[in-house]
Amino acid sequence: MNRSSRILNSKVAGYSSLITFAVLLIAWIAGFSSRLFAVIRFESIIHEFDPWFNYRATAYMVQHGWYKFLNWFDERAWYPLGRIVGGTVYPGLMITSGSIHYILHVLNIPVHIRDICVFLAPVFSGLTSISTYLLTKELWSPGAGLFAASFIAIVPGYISRSVAGSYDNEGIAIFALQFTYFLWVRSVKTGSVFWSAGAAISYFYMVSAWGGYVFIINLIPLHVFVLLIMGRYSPRLLTSYSTFYILGLLFSMQIPFVGFQPIRTSEHMAAMGVFVLLMAVAVLRHLQSVLSRNEFKKLFIVGGLLAAAIVFVAVVGLTMMGVVAPWSGRFYSLWDTGYAKIHIPIIASVSEHQPTTWFSFFFDLHILVCAFPVGLWYCIKQINDERVFVVLYAISAVYFAGVMVRLMLTLTPVVCMLAGVAFSGLLDVFLQEDASKRTGSVMNSVSETDDLDESLEKKSLYDKAGKLRHRTKHDPTHEGGMSSNLKSIVILAVLMILMMFAVHCTWVTSNAYSSPSIVLAFHNSQDGSRNILDDFREAYYWLSQNTADDARIMSWWDYGYQIAGMANRTTLVDNNTWNNSHIALVGKAMSSTEEKSYSIMTSLDVDYVLVIFGGVIGYSGDDINKFLWMVRIAEGEHPKDIKESDFFTDRGEFRVDAEGAPALLNCLMYKLSYYRFGDLKLDYRGPSGYDRTRNAVIGNKDFDLTYLEEAYTTEHWLVRIYRVKKPYEFNRPSLKIKDRLIPPTNFISRKNLKRRKGLIRNRPTVVKGKRSLK
Amino acid sequence: MWILYHVAIAYLILNVTHAEIINKNVERTLDLTSQLAKTTYKISVEDTAGKALKDYVFVVKEPNLSFISVKDGFSNKVKYEEKKGLANDQTEFKLTFASVSPQQNLVIETVSTKNILPHPAEIKQNDKQLVKFVGGLYLYSKYSTNTQKTNVMLSSSNILSHTQAKPYSVSSNKLAFGPYENIAPLSEDELVIHYENQSPFLTVNSLDRSIEVSHWGNIAVKESIEMTHTGAKLKGSFSRYDFQKDGRSGQSAVKSYKTYLPASASGVYYRDTNGNISTSNMHFMRDFVDLELRPRFPLFGGWKTQYTLGYNVPSYEYLFSSGNNYVLKMHLIDHIHDNMSIEKAVVTVILPEGSANIELITPYSIKRHQNDLIYTYLDTVGRPVITFSKQNLVENHISEFTLKYTFSKVSLLQEPLLVIGFIYMIFIFTIVLLRLDFSITYHSHKE
Repeated sequence: MNRSSRILNSKVAGYSSLITFAVLLIAWIAGFSSRLFAVIRFESIIHEFDPWFNYRATAYMVQHGWYKFLNWFDERAWYPLGRIVGGTVYPGLMITSGSIHYILHVLNIPVHIRDICVFLAPVFSGLTSISTYLLTKELWSPGAGLFAASFIAIVPGYISRSVAGSYDNEGIAIFALQFTYFLWVRSVKTGSVFWSAGAAISYFYMVSAWGGYVFIINLIPLHVFVLLIMGRYSPRLLTSYSTFYILGLLFSMQIPFVGFQPIRTSEHMAAMGVFVLLMAVAVLRHLQSVLSRNEFKKLFIVGGLLAAAIVFVAVVGLTMMGVVAPWSGRFYSLWDTGYAKIHIPIIASVSEHQPTTWFSFFFDLHILVCAFPVGLWYCIKQINDERVFVVLYAISAVYFAGVMVRLMLTLTPVVCMLAGVAFSGLLDVFLQEDASKRTGSVMNSVSETDDLDESLEKKSLYDKAGKLRHRTKHDPTHEGGMSSNLKSIVILAVLMILMMFAVHCTWVTSNAYSSPSIVLAFHNSQDGSRNILDDFREAYYWLSQNTADDARIMSWWDYGYQIAGMANRTTLVDNNTWNNSHIALVGKAMSSTEEKSYSIMTSLDVDYVLVIFGGVIGYSGDDINKFLWMVRIAEGEHPKDIKESDFFTDRGEFRVDAEGAPALLNCLMYKLSYYRFGDLKLDYRGPSGYDRTRNAVIGNKDFDLTYLEEAYTTEHWLVRIYRVKKPYEFNRPSLKIKDRLIPPTNFISRKNLKRRKGLIRNRPTVVKGKRSLK
Repeated sequence: MWILYHVAIAYLILNVTHAEIINKNVERTLDLTSQLAKTTYKISVEDTAGKALKDYVFVVKEPNLSFISVKDGFSNKVKYEEKKGLANDQTEFKLTFASVSPQQNLVIETVSTKNILPHPAEIKQNDKQLVKFVGGLYLYSKYSTNTQKTNVMLSSSNILSHTQAKPYSVSSNKLAFGPYENIAPLSEDELVIHYENQSPFLTVNSLDRSIEVSHWGNIAVKESIEMTHTGAKLKGSFSRYDFQKDGRSGQSAVKSYKTYLPASASGVYYRDTNGNISTSNMHFMRDFVDLELRPRFPLFGGWKTQYTLGYNVPSYEYLFSSGNNYVLKMHLIDHIHDNMSIEKAVVTVILPEGSANIELITPYSIKRHQNDLIYTYLDTVGRPVITFSKQNLVENHISEFTLKYTFSKVSLLQEPLLVIGFIYMIFIFTIVLLRLDFSITYHSHKE
């Protein structure tokens, strides 16, 4: 498509396609390279938590093949339950990088799968910007498309999920999302089965890649629905939607994790309803052409009401009968932001599920967040079928982004597109004069100059301003409707803003989104040198080298994927969080006393316990700070044993010092975090046992562990690993088998030849094959 | 029983011609300062019959003999034949002298591994590592010995016990035994020393060394190393607090060690399966690169680690050619840490595509594996891979192997041409494709 559109341009105007190509290429390169901060500062490494699982799954797939992967039962996770990985993942990500790996190896290019995983998201960001260009071009103009493509290449809202090493579903899903929308808009415009089938295939890829596909399958029906309400029904719409829906439905059900959900869950019902409605409208249209006006009116009212009633009853009935599943909790939390906090603490405990702050809108989108309502206004003013789509997209995405920080990601593309429209519209007005003087076609040259600006902006920030000033000097000779001085001032201002946007994007990317979070860097305040804290990998590598291969590690679920990925050991809970009660059990073990948790740990066959403790270096994301969530989740399942209020002081404070609640000072998590910390003096003047994270001297200093022993603690005490003792190790001393013999005494047996045999009275007679009766 | 013994000796005396050979004077130096038992023998041999000495049988009684070098009084190498697999782990060397004389001086150096064992085998973190060495008090020889002396060097003056065979003397970390006079052939007596040894007991369980030769001027060396602390195992819990606060705590633990790389090494990387190990320092010296490696965690007794160390060296220092004949001269193994002990080393040499007539010359016997082919960047027929392995290696084994092969210089151009051709084909294909129209209906191309 891209190529054909380029040809198309080249036929119209010579340089246009070259500029398009150049801008997109530069956008790709700029997007790719601005995502490399983490690789340059640290190394080519997988980041954070979920990417480690994706990486592990991909490595498994590459090693064992696709079918083994589909049937993979991971016994190293969720001990003793295990996890059916093949059926509970969106495999698109693994397939994508797996096939890249396969192709490269067929060509004898031995690239390690880790490097493919690390660089996948930056590469796909280029594809995202191309598909954004195509979509915006369909919606508005090629110039706006180039703006949008350049915006999305560097906008922090998208970079936050796609830096090198952030190997997550979102990295490829945004590309699939934009591309599906592009094909959908194309198909609505042309009414061609080809494009809508293409949209369905792209939707299939999206379904395989990310759970966010639900957004597509609700937005496109919404688009169709609104078009119907607006009276914009056309046979093109019928063709494209019915093709897309049927193919998309069939495709989406091919993903094992999705399965029958598209016809059984409420999230997908809207699409089906709109499909039925569209068919009904089509039938009515047909009838309208056949029947008389009066007959038709009657039929319409009666039939419409009847149909609505039937559909409503059917949906309610099916939901009641359990055929159609009600909405999932995560979905409820989209409508009611307080829902998760009350009902599902495990969802609320994840920071990216929190409502978005105003600050982060500006932080992630900068000037675009101001420009995008302008673009939206342009689209509403000059509405047509496809602009209805982008308006709906914008409105729904804004809402969702307000509910959850994480969904900022779906807002970002539409903001880029509409901001592109806004800037393009602005430059349309203010560059029109000299553009029309220079070349014939207004439209084309506008896009051309836009492109020029963009490409200049990409290349170097400061040269561009000078060059433009140089060009504006020519302006006074051409007097238009507007004063040329005004024009140049406006254009300069716009360019200034865009420049600041680029600077802001780079700054945010480098400072906020480029930390692998498993390697921490800090600057030494004394000599300004950069130090690296590698404690996580130190601990995980210790686990992988010096524990038994089948050792089971208990830790809070945040670290499950990392332990599985880096230490290759069995974990009890991980970031998949599919089994709340299992997590609650771990939470209970962490928040009980040592003795009580020992019985939980032995029942779960725990060999090692891993806790994260930031008190020595002042790392705030440690387990004590997360501890209240553990208590809450445990309380949800075991309200009799664990009470959140026990962990607060009388005044309702959560504190670790001497005034802290006794339940807290004696729970396992506290003891494991602070074991022997009470002796440690961090500096010469300060008191011993001073916790830097919570700025307090700990309350319970002198204690010993009975049931556990310290197995390893990393250099900065960030990760502490304890071994759970076996019962004989603390209960009674173990006796080796050879020592268990009873020492010979001078005892002489009374048995003589006559009384050699002993007798048991009432010896039961055993009949083989029959159960003895009691 | 001892009648039998006498009969055997009588048999030996009667039977063998070396009845007249005696060890006139033996001086033995045992270096037990590290994990290796290094022994230097200075033996003056004499044929009492006045005949010219032709050969001499030297017996090594220690198990796990790793290395031996035999020189005569003028520091010339003496040829020997090795006989392995005898009873009691002993190895016999039949030496053949080059010069003809009734009196010969021998300087024999041996290095053996795993003869200094931690005793007790498990210690707590704050305990000292004590080791025990068990060896022979006398030179185990087929010939009678007139006088012999043994000097033992230990790593510390903390000696818990040692064999009290008079005469002996102790001075700080040195022990001297002897002189013992007129020792009969094949007589044995145990020498046991129990002492403190905090030197690193690191064993390289496996070393995978791969050398990839490129004729574009680079040789890439990659070593994958599996390493275990084979000293006294850590008993009970590990305490980070003690380890940080108390300097005496965990002295036998290995926090870091030094690896020496060739002076021209560049692009050094030190990583494991979880990525770069950020704790290493590199110092460039005049004739080597001093790399201070810190494993991710300190190695306590029984703990192990794995890592990969790689670097590049320019090929002009190691690869020599005349015409189409090439000679590669590189170290078979390289330095990993001081007093290292390698259980098994596998060396892989990857030659450029199209190399032929490969001939390998090694400084000592190795086990040659089957040649293989490997396919990497832009390969079509595959690169020849030469693999060989050897067990039980020590520092003394660092020496060069020679690999001769032929390679036609023209085939260097094959890969660039392949790339050029490929890009050319893409352009041709695009040009053709863009001029074809596949549509089944007429499109105006205007929307």
